Amino acid sequence: MNPVQLALRVLRADRRTRVATLLTAVGVAVATALVLLLASLPMAAEARAERALWQQPQYELSTGGGATISWSSSTDEIDGELITRVDVAPLVDPADVTLPPGIERLPGPGEMLQSPDLATLARERPPAELADRFGAEPVGLLGDDALRFPEQLVVLVGHSRDTMPDSAMELSSFGFGDAEPDELLSLLAGVGVVVLLVPSLVLVASASRLIAARRERRLAALRLAGATPAQVTAMVAAETGLAAVAGAVLGVAASPLLHRLAAFVPWAGGTWFAGDFVLPVWLVVPIALVVVVLVVGAAVAGLRRVVNTPLMATGTGYARKPLSWWRLLLVPAAVAVFFWTLTQASRQDGTMLPMLVALGVLMWSPSLVGPWITSALGGVFVRRWRRPAALLAGRRLRDDPKAAYRASAGVVLAAFAGSMALTLMPSLEAESGYYSQFREEVLYLTTSEDRAAAIVADADEALAGYGLDVRAARVDHADITSGQELHMAVVATCAEAKRLLPGTEGLTCRDAPAIYASQPLDLAKAGVHDPSTGSTVPLPADAPVAPMPAAADVVVVDPVLWPSGAPAQGVSVAVPATEKSREIVRTALLGASGGEQVISKEMMLGQQDTQLADLRRVTVIGLVTASLLAGVSAAISTAGSVMDRRRTFGALMAAGTPVRTLARALRAEAALPALVATLGAGALGTAVAVGLFGLVSQSAPVFSPWIAAPVVLGALVALLAAAVCAPALRRVRAEPLVDE
Amino acid sequence: MHTQATPLLTGRGLVKRYGQQYALAGVDIDIHAGEVLAIVGPSGSGKTSLLHVLAGILRTDEGQITLGGQRIDQLNETRRSELRRTEFGFVFQSGMLVAELTAEENVALPLLLGGRDRTTALGAAREWIGRLGLQGKEHRRPGELSGGEAQRVAIARAIAHRPKVIFADEPTGALDTRTGHDTVQALVESARTTNTAVIIVTHDRELAASLPRTVAIRDGRIEQAVPTA
Ligand SMILES: Nc1ncnc2c1ncn2[C@@H]1O[C@H](COP(=O)(O)OP(=O)(O)OP(=O)(O)O)[C@@H](O)[C@H]1O
Ligand SMILES: [Mg+2]
Repeated sequence: MNPVQLALRVLRADRRTRVATLLTAVGVAVATALVLLLASLPMAAEARAERALWQQPQYELSTGGGATISWSSSTDEIDGELITRVDVAPLVDPADVTLPPGIERLPGPGEMLQSPDLATLARERPPAELADRFGAEPVGLLGDDALRFPEQLVVLVGHSRDTMPDSAMELSSFGFGDAEPDELLSLLAGVGVVVLLVPSLVLVASASRLIAARRERRLAALRLAGATPAQVTAMVAAETGLAAVAGAVLGVAASPLLHRLAAFVPWAGGTWFAGDFVLPVWLVVPIALVVVVLVVGAAVAGLRRVVNTPLMATGTGYARKPLSWWRLLLVPAAVAVFFWTLTQASRQDGTMLPMLVALGVLMWSPSLVGPWITSALGGVFVRRWRRPAALLAGRRLRDDPKAAYRASAGVVLAAFAGSMALTLMPSLEAESGYYSQFREEVLYLTTSEDRAAAIVADADEALAGYGLDVRAARVDHADITSGQELHMAVVATCAEAKRLLPGTEGLTCRDAPAIYASQPLDLAKAGVHDPSTGSTVPLPADAPVAPMPAAADVVVVDPVLWPSGAPAQGVSVAVPATEKSREIVRTALLGASGGEQVISKEMMLGQQDTQLADLRRVTVIGLVTASLLAGVSAAISTAGSVMDRRRTFGALMAAGTPVRTLARALRAEAALPALVATLGAGALGTAVAVGLFGLVSQSAPVFSPWIAAPVVLGALVALLAAAVCAPALRRVRAEPLVDE
Repeated sequence: MHTQATPLLTGRGLVKRYGQQYALAGVDIDIHAGEVLAIVGPSGSGKTSLLHVLAGILRTDEGQITLGGQRIDQLNETRRSELRRTEFGFVFQSGMLVAELTAEENVALPLLLGGRDRTTALGAAREWIGRLGLQGKEHRRPGELSGGEAQRVAIARAIAHRPKVIFADEPTGALDTRTGHDTVQALVESARTTNTAVIIVTHDRELAASLPRTVAIRDGRIEQAVPTA
């Protein structure tokens, strides 16, 4: 009889083996499907980025000469949703301009192509709120191949050369070629593989623990009957291999479904086309094979004991497994290696692989340290117990801390990764300040001195036409030197400053034009700094200087007092907007400028919020998935540890110990290591995150109550796992007292 | 002499079926306080079934069981557990001790689970371990004891809470004849000091013959009741 036949025979005969095999297959299927999804993420990101290349500047296309288009892109928003706007004018015969996929023709001057969702929005909203912004007639739609994601809001506006915005550049063609990989997503996918694969494999290992005792006895019997170690190994490999192959096939089959689901998860502003996630066969097959080999390898490795000492396995031979304290050194060592690779990675933008490997080691280190802590905790219980629950738990934790800890390995990973992510996120969020010289609600664009007046006039006309009372203002800024000091100066009337600049609420305007400064300003020494020549143009020495509230860190100079010939470093046109008027003000500014970039502080912060929301969403999905896997495997291994000792427990129950009492004792045993481990992993994850954050930022990290979430989740998983005790014991009681 | 007194534990018309098969087909049996009784019979004759039915581990399909004159066959599982914990003690074929616990902790465990405090439970455990001749081995684990020693620990565990009846199902099954006889001797002597009745199921005719009373069972029926010695 060959090993496979023998395995099938065992499967037919033994219900528990069937259950364990099924669980193994499910674990492998989950692992395979998850890895396939994660492996497809970088490719999916690249696919979507490649479709959007035409929307982005590619500076190398501007240098070579032979320009065919004048091109400009800007971002805009409506209700906080990002709109990508591309303006284009042909410099050659439009028929000679190479078009990106998904764009059927080049829109002529005054024409535009919209993405389907933008077209719908533009139709639904009043023109003043959206359609008028583009100053062009819709003549068609952009195809899917021209969209980053299905619901992207993007517009391609046609021009003649002279109506292009100031920021236009001449390009030899639209952007094309290979997109930059999405580093963040690749990193997350890498972390995800570790965080999700490990609990899946632990699940598989727990499933095999369900039948470990029984299998060891069977194999030992076979060894005693003269089977060679190779034969025994082949048999186990066949048994696990059957389950693993079935699971891998199931995983591959289920992966399109998972891809479908993943396509609904927004990232970088939008969801995905289902086709983005397609993995080439040459990647699917090896991934599935590697998972199978890992699982079978783990099963065979676990056999060493039986194969080497067949007689030991039959008896109740008892071997204490001492753990040495050097395990404790591993965590600091792993942390050190991780940080070292991290500094290396940030210095030379090399590959991420060493860092990922180091992260893997770091995540593996709790599995060495955890058992030691578990054993130490067991020691305390053994010395201090008052109730039998503590005694039983203590002895078991002390005797086989590795087995006790194994159950919580998955929870540990989830807690580690989760607390790391959740520590980093609020810290990054606090970092995400954005500097603007204007107040939060103010919309503004930067332009040239020549065009500013025309834009102000057009915008004012549009605002009046839309029935709004606000008006646009030209605001220049420059640097003023006064001795050693350098001040930022804004050229505006006092009234405009009060409307537009932050911290000016308490400003009292003089009747006559004046210079307003929060610090004393010696006009005799002060002058406007000209960065191109390094010289200064003096300010009128007799100008009145009035106080500015300290909250506004800026010098405001009335335009009348601005020395002629003094250079402005930037020219802006700004309009204060309210929540209600915002979209219309946008429309007026965009219509007036013909596609300049309109900015507001909220818009910049909003885009950073999007990224943080993406990260948080992905973290929560990962955390919940990992916890789910961890919970299931913890529950299975708890059931396994009860089954391992069924004779003992059966005897205790026969002698009158109620299931309730016994279950209480076992619950402590099941939950304690997990609780300790989750707390430890949570602390470690937080520490690593604080370190990581320290590398990228000088400020102190911010802790939100969310960092407790993974630990709570982990503890909950542990408690759920512990809840398996009572049902497992009831099963044991229902079975005949001595059945093997 | 004790045949005149009211029996401690009685079974009347006990029937236990597994599907079509009768494991017990109408058994009447009396056990008196402090009595030592051997149950013998071929394999599959129903010895274990009788023991488990009398101890309330299994429910009877028909018949009645009384303990000290009270019906106990109709109690629910919780009450029967309590009875097993307080009034009965058990010794199984191979100790079935908790592998992680030391000898004395194994003996103390039922007391602890019954709510006794650590000091009392361990005190009683040490006393019985001493009486059974295992001084100095209190801190050994089951895996570090010989088969006979492990059985003595099991006996100490069965008797430490001073039950009225000890049920022993082939307590010598895993031991050689010599050790087996010594072990049973230890059990019987311990039981005498506490006036505990002992019911021993065994295959060993010689061992049975050395005990005061033997009941033979075949095909689920009492074959003969031979008062010896
Ligand atoms: N759980 C069970 N399910 C079905 N039949 C059972 C079960 N337990 C016992 N039996 C049957 O009941 C009969 C009596 O079994 P029991 O275990 O009482 O015998 P025994 O005298 O203890 O045998 P042995 O000396 O081999 O231990 C046997 O025929 C057995 O096959
Ligand atoms: Mg039997």
